[in-house]
Amino acid sequence: MKQFRVIKAEIRKLTTTRMPLAFLVVLAVVGAATAVAVAFGTDMDGSQGFISTAADQQSLMAFASNALVIAGLFGAIAVAREYGHGTVILTFLTTPARSRAVAAQLGAAFLAGCVLGFVGAGISAAAVALGLVATDFGFMVTTSGLIQVLAASTFAGGVGAVLGSGIGALVRNTGGAVTGAIVLLFILPPLAVQMVNETARWIPNTLTNVLSGVGSTVGVGPAFVALSLWALVPAAAGLVAVSRRDVV
Amino acid sequence: MAQQPDVRLPLTFERLTKSYGNARVVDRLSFRVEPGRVTGFLGPNGAGKSTSMKILLGLAAATEGAAMIGDLHYRELDDPTGTVGSSVESDAFHPGRSGRNHLRIVADATGTSTERVDEVLELVDLADSADRHAGAYSLGMKQRLGLATALLRDPPVLVLDEPGNGLDPQGVRFLRNLLRERAACGNTVFVSSHLLGEVEHLADDVVVVNRGRLVTQGSLSELRQTASVVRAAAARDLSPVLEAAGASVEEGEKGALVVRGLPLAEIGDRAFDAGIALHELSRHRDSLEDKFFAWTNDTDGRAQGFAEETS
Repeated sequence: MKQFRVIKAEIRKLTTTRMPLAFLVVLAVVGAATAVAVAFGTDMDGSQGFISTAADQQSLMAFASNALVIAGLFGAIAVAREYGHGTVILTFLTTPARSRAVAAQLGAAFLAGCVLGFVGAGISAAAVALGLVATDFGFMVTTSGLIQVLAASTFAGGVGAVLGSGIGALVRNTGGAVTGAIVLLFILPPLAVQMVNETARWIPNTLTNVLSGVGSTVGVGPAFVALSLWALVPAAAGLVAVSRRDVV
Repeated sequence: MAQQPDVRLPLTFERLTKSYGNARVVDRLSFRVEPGRVTGFLGPNGAGKSTSMKILLGLAAATEGAAMIGDLHYRELDDPTGTVGSSVESDAFHPGRSGRNHLRIVADATGTSTERVDEVLELVDLADSADRHAGAYSLGMKQRLGLATALLRDPPVLVLDEPGNGLDPQGVRFLRNLLRERAACGNTVFVSSHLLGEVEHLADDVVVVNRGRLVTQGSLSELRQTASVVRAAAARDLSPVLEAAGASVEEGEKGALVVRGLPLAEIGDRAFDAGIALHELSRHRDSLEDKFFAWTNDTDGRAQGFAEETS
C-alpha cells in the first residue's frame, strides 16, 4: 500500500510539468512524417512497393524502436532533473529507504514509457492508415498484427523509460544522462556488432523488430527477456549508486 | 490534522563526524536538541550545519557517530514525514511545477488529504499563488513553500535550514511566531541560521559550530552573559574591591569597568562601603553578534566572511 502511494507520487511528478506534452508533440511530429512518407514516398523505381503488402505496412507501423529511444530520453531527463532541481530530496525524505524510492521512480517511469510507446504506436498506425488513403493501396495489416505492433511498442516504451531512468539515477545530470542514453542505444550496439557479429541478434533494434512481428532473428520469448535486460542492467546500476551516495 | 503534543522527541548528535576525502566537514559533533524549545544552529558558511542536518535526515551518511531522532535514525522512523518536518534546500522545487502540485506530491506519497494541502497553503499565505509555477516564486515564497512542506503532516519535530532567508519582515514575524508556538506545544524546533538578529529573537537555546566542531551550546540567555558597566572616579581602587567579592572585572572603553558575576545592587553597595563615588552603574548585555565573533574568531577570515553576510 505504502509503495503504491509512492508510485502515485512519482506519477504525479511526471505529469505535473510540461515534459510529457513535449514528448507527445514529438510523437505527433513523427506520426505526421510517417503519414507524409506513406502518402507521397516512393521506392527508387518510382513505385510504392514499400507499402504494397501487409508485412510492409506492419513494418512501417512498428514503432517499438522509436518508442525505446523516445521513452529512454524521457526517463533519463525525468530522473536526472530530479537531482538537478533537488526534488529528489523530497523523495528521500518521504521514502528514506532508497531502494523503495528508486523502485517507485522506475515503476512510474515504466508506466509513463508504456503510455508513450502505446500512444506513439497508435499515432504511427493511424498515420499509416491516413497516408494509405492517398495511395492505391488499402490497409492490409491484420488485427493481430496491429495488436502486436501496439503491444511491442508499449513494452519497448516501458523498457526504454526504465533504461533512461537508470542512467539518470547513475549520472544525475540531465545532459550527461541524455548522452548516456544515446550512447547506450545508438553507439554501443553497432560497436558491439562490429566487434562480435553474433551480437547483432541481441541489440535493441533487432529485439524490438522481433517483438513487433517484423523480424524473426530470435524467438519472441528470448527477445522479451533480452530487451528487459537492456533496461534492468542500468536500472540496477542506478539503484546501487543511489543507495550508496549522499544527497548533496 | 491534530497536533501531537504528547510526542516529545529530542535530537541527539553523538560524536557525529563526516569526511569527504581528507576534508573533515563535521568533526565529532555532540549535542542535544530538547523538545519544547527552539534551538538555533549557528555557524559561518561551511561550518557543517547543513551537512549535520542532512545526516540527521538520512540524506547523507555519517563517517562516524550518529544523529538520532529520539532513539532512532531517520530511516528507522515508522512515519518519517509525520515525525520530522524539514526544509533543507530553499529552492528544491521543479520550476515548471506549481506550488500546489509540489505539495500534492508529498501528500500522495504520505497519504495526506488534499484538504490538508489547501490548509497549509493558507497557513503560509501562499493560497493565492499556489497554482503558479514555483520557478516564478520569489525566494521568500519558496521559503514559505518549503515551510508548508515541512508542516504538511503536522510533525512534532521541525528541522529547518536557514528558513528566514529571503522572508520579508511580515514573513520573519510569522515564522518566529509559528516556531515559538510549535515549541510551546512541546515540539522540537531545530533551526539553522546565519541571521544572528533573527536567532536572537527566536531561539531559546543555541548550538554554535565552526569548522565542523562544536564551539558552544546552551540557553541563549545564559550564553549572553549579562555584565555591568561601572564608571568611578577611582576605578583602579574599585577593581580589587569587586574582585574580592567574587566578580570578574575587565577594563572597558574610556576607563569604564566591565563587571561580571555581581548583581548591580551589590556593586553599588561595595563601592559605597569602600567610599568610592560612582559616576555610572548600568547593565550591559553582549549582543549575540559580539558573542558569535568571540566564539568563532578565526584568523583566516572565515568569521569575517560571516560578518560581511550579516551586515
